[in-house]
Amino acid sequence: MNVEFLKERFYRLGAVPDCPVYDMHGHMGSWYGIHFSRPQPPEMLRVMMRAGVRLLVFCHHWALFAPDIGNQASVKAVRMFPEKLRAYCGINPNYPDIVSRDVATFEEYRDVYVGFKLLADYHHYPITHDRYRPAWEVANEEGLLVLLHTWQGSVYDGPGEVRKAAETYPEARILLGHCCHADWQSAAELAREFPNVYLELCAVLDDRGAVEFLVEKAGSERIVFGTDFPWFNHHYYIGALLGADITDEDRRNILYRNAERLLFGRQINP
Amino acid sequence: MDLRLFDANVFLGRPTNSIHDSCSTPQELLARMDRFPVERALVWHVIQHDCCPVEGNRLLAEEIKGCDRLQGCWTILPPQTGETIGTDFFERMKRDGIVALRAFPSTHRYVLGRTAFGDFLAEITERRIPLLLSTARGISWPEIYRLLEDFPLLTCIICDIGTWGANRYTWPLLEKYPRVYVETSMLSLADGDTEATVGKYGSERLVFGTGFPERYPEAAILQLIHAEISDEDKSNIAWANLERLLGQIQL
Repeated sequence: MNVEFLKERFYRLGAVPDCPVYDMHGHMGSWYGIHFSRPQPPEMLRVMMRAGVRLLVFCHHWALFAPDIGNQASVKAVRMFPEKLRAYCGINPNYPDIVSRDVATFEEYRDVYVGFKLLADYHHYPITHDRYRPAWEVANEEGLLVLLHTWQGSVYDGPGEVRKAAETYPEARILLGHCCHADWQSAAELAREFPNVYLELCAVLDDRGAVEFLVEKAGSERIVFGTDFPWFNHHYYIGALLGADITDEDRRNILYRNAERLLFGRQINP
Repeated sequence: MDLRLFDANVFLGRPTNSIHDSCSTPQELLARMDRFPVERALVWHVIQHDCCPVEGNRLLAEEIKGCDRLQGCWTILPPQTGETIGTDFFERMKRDGIVALRAFPSTHRYVLGRTAFGDFLAEITERRIPLLLSTARGISWPEIYRLLEDFPLLTCIICDIGTWGANRYTWPLLEKYPRVYVETSMLSLADGDTEATVGKYGSERLVFGTGFPERYPEAAILQLIHAEISDEDKSNIAWANLERLLGQIQL
């Protein structure tokens, strides 16, 4: 029997119906450091369709960088396109009053949020700082997702800080955005050691060899797909995964199976 | 559509600091290219950057000799030291199947500009020999801008344009200098930038590249196959532009 591999099918079709994609690390809107070619929701959704992206879980740039606008930008987008979008509630520890308000009103936005996003390298507070505690406690109580930006050697969100957070909040499901970038060994060890820690591949797939290492050391069942979209292109990242020396079963785990398990029960398609 | 791919950005050899699955020999590289699949490649040897440009140039010429699918890039150094550029430089390029040049000024500790290279850069401009510059290896955007102010008609392919979208760097150069081209291994990473760049400056200004062995070629390939541009634009980027540029060189 002539079996067509995922690589050939993505090359031929662009989107493969029986291999949907869940992008667990996205953004939206304009941002100071980059001219984005298509950062707004209608265009983003059209582009997502071309690569078979079933759901984008994102945090709007303004939720992370413009406290005067905050999470309302994410809320508005999800409520406009609820079948394709979910959001992380962005937590900026520089403004405890806003953190308190957003955590207190979290329940009102359960149709929008799947959890929280912490961007400690940019906000300059370690992820275990007290200022994040209200969000961590809710995530821990309710088993919510917490997407972290994690980077090698960072005093804010490096492996040591992740370890403390995973120990303190064992019921929160922690996604290591960027896999402690470049410190793949520590990322894999954290995923092996803590059942509530998962690896997320944004900014990993443009370095050849890292995903092979992570699959070997942590297992593809512990890895989810993410792109920073609209920073990075879905076909580029899917292509990188197709080029890696892993199996199609690994690719399916990463592209959708693990994400579906993590999101199950979160009413992603109400 | 079936795209024929001519890769402008591949290196041969094992870097000083190891990376995943690099290719020591042209046979290994060709086997990988078959798998992606990429038909032809413009290659350089990583020793040209990491260790010794002179020995790297020699080794590259030796490795690609007789291999129709691989064409070479030599590394240049300031002519004053006589290390890579001598009186018979262009004859040797022709003899050894070298069709383009690379420069890594900060790594190799010189200034790429009129003072060190005036006549030579004027000559490669005249001969339309492409100079490939990698923003990941030894040259910054301000240095590229200064170089092109001095040599506005230089055929220049800017490679590895960075992980973050680089339109604010590349578009002014594409607008002002008609013989500047952007290699796509990192352009393809930035969502929508291939389409936007083609829309503003035409597909003739982009040259396909993978960044192998540091990046997965399938990434740039899948992006190009499904980019929202015409089939003719895709063919230009994938093959025709680099073939045309190499057809214009005078050795």
